[in-house]
Amino acid sequence: MGEEHLDTRLLAELTEQSQDLNSDALRITRESLVEYGQQQEPVRRWWQRGSVLAGAVGGAALLGVGRAAAASSVDVQALQTAASIENLAVSVYTTAAGLSFIKDGNKTVAAFIAKTTTQHTAHGQAFNAAATQAGGKAQTAPDPKYLAVVKKMLPSITTPADVVKLAITLEDVAAQTYTSYVSKVSDPALRKLFASVAPVEAQHRSTLLAVQALLAGGGAALIAIPTDAAKLPAAAGSVGFPDSFYSTSMASPVTEGAVQ
Amino acid sequence: MSSAKGSWELPISEGELSRLTGELDEAHQEYLPRMQAAAADLGQELRDTGAVRESRFASRRGFLLGAGGVAAALTLAACSSSTKTTAGASPSGSAMSPSGSPSASSLYTGDLQVVALATALENQAVGAYGAALAAAKAGKLGSVPPAVATFATTAMSQHTDHAKAWNAVLTGAGKPAITGVPLSNQPATLKALGAVTNVGGVAQLALELENQAAQTYLFATYNVTSAGGIATAASIAPVEAMHAAILNFVLGQYPVPDDFLPVDKAASPTLLTI
Repeated sequence: MGEEHLDTRLLAELTEQSQDLNSDALRITRESLVEYGQQQEPVRRWWQRGSVLAGAVGGAALLGVGRAAAASSVDVQALQTAASIENLAVSVYTTAAGLSFIKDGNKTVAAFIAKTTTQHTAHGQAFNAAATQAGGKAQTAPDPKYLAVVKKMLPSITTPADVVKLAITLEDVAAQTYTSYVSKVSDPALRKLFASVAPVEAQHRSTLLAVQALLAGGGAALIAIPTDAAKLPAAAGSVGFPDSFYSTSMASPVTEGAVQ
Repeated sequence: MSSAKGSWELPISEGELSRLTGELDEAHQEYLPRMQAAAADLGQELRDTGAVRESRFASRRGFLLGAGGVAAALTLAACSSSTKTTAGASPSGSAMSPSGSPSASSLYTGDLQVVALATALENQAVGAYGAALAAAKAGKLGSVPPAVATFATTAMSQHTDHAKAWNAVLTGAGKPAITGVPLSNQPATLKALGAVTNVGGVAQLALELENQAAQTYLFATYNVTSAGGIATAASIAPVEAMHAAILNFVLGQYPVPDDFLPVDKAASPTLLTI
C-alpha cells in the first residue's frame, strides 16, 4: 500500500490549511446570512405581488407591451444564449433520433428523444420570442462552445449509452445556465421564464442519469414506461438527483451564444 | 494497515487516505465556489442596497433611483388593488386577501415569510419520507422495491439539507428556526399518509409534495426581492423537480410531463400557521 511514503508533516500542514479554509468559509457564510436577514422588508408581501407579476407573464403573453423597456442588454444576451443552447439540443436530439441504434432500439428511449426534442423546441421558441419582444434579434445558431464539443464527440458515438452521455452533458449545461440566469436577468418575467425551464432540463438530466445507470447495469429492459419498479436496482432510486442544490459552476456566460 | 512516522501513527492506509482526500477535495470543489459566490452575491446586494439608500438624497442619480423605486412601488400598489386576476397566477391555497394571510403579528414577514414557508415545506417532506420509511420497515406498505427505499432515503436527506439552508437564513435574521411543520395542510397530509397501504400510494403522495415544493420555489424566484433568496430558490427548484421525475418514472408515468414548470400547485404563505 506504500504507507512508507507518507509525509506526516506535510499532511499536518495541509490539514491545517484545510481547517483555515473551512473556518474562513463558515465565517463568511455566517456573516452573509446575518446580513441577509437584516435587509428583509420588501415594499409589499410577495404573494400580493404574485398575481400582478404572474398576470403579466402568464401563458403566451409572457412578455407584454412595454417589456422592451424593462429588459436590459444582459437580458437579451441571456435569452439569445439560452436559445443557442436549445438550438444545439434540438439539433443533437434530431440527429440522434435518426441513428439506427436509436431508431431501431429501445422504444422508450426513442420516445423520450422525440418528446424532449419538442420540449427543447418550445424552449427555444420562448427564449427567441422574449428576445425579439425585448428589442433583440432571435438566435437561430447553436451555442458555439458546445457545438465544438458535440462535433468532437460525434465520431465516437456508436451506442445508445454514448448518446445518453452526450445528452446528459447538454441538459446539465442548460439547467445550470438557466438556474444561473434567474439571478442575472433584471426582469421578473424573465426570471420566471428561466426558472420554469431550468427544472424541466433538470428532469431530462435526471431521467437520462437513470437510463444511463440502467444501461450500464444491464437493465435495459427496465427502461420502459411503465417500468417494473420492483426489479429496479437500488441505485436507480437515487442516481437521478446527485446534488442537494443545483450547481451553476458550468453555466454559460450570457455572451456565449449572443447574436453578434 | 497503518503507518508510523514522526510522533504519531496513521490509523488508515495510504489508499484509504487518498480516497478520502479525493472525496474531500471533490466536496470542496463542488461546494466552496458556490458558497463563496452566494456570499459575494449577498454582499453585493447589501452594498447595492446601502449605496442606494445613502445616495438617494445626495445626488441626481440617487434621486432618480429613488424615484424609480417609488414609482415601482406605486405601480405595484395600484396593480395589486385591482380586482383583475389571472388563472393559475396565484399559489394554491392563497386567499389573496388580508383575511387569508397569516397573522398580522407573524414572526416572519416579507421575504422571510417565504423562507418560513420553504422551511415548513421541507420539514413536511422530511417528515413524510421519514414516516414512509418507518411504515415500510414495519411492513405496513407490503413489499418495498429497493429503488424506492433508496429514493426515499436520499430525497429525505436532500430535503433536510434544504431545510437547514433555509433555517440558517431565519436564524441569521434573528428569527427562530422552524423545526416542525406549521402548515394548515399538515393534518390532511398526515391523514393521507396514514391511509396509504402500499408503495404506490406513498409515491403518489410524495409526488404531490415534490411538485408543490418545486412550483413554490419557481413562484418565489419572481416574487421575492432578495437576490440571495432568488438564487437559493432557483437552485432548489430543479432538485425537487428531479425528485418528481424519478417518482413519475417509478409510478409508471412520463418523467417530464410539462414543457415549462407551472405554478398551479405552488403553496401559498397563507398555509403558514405561525
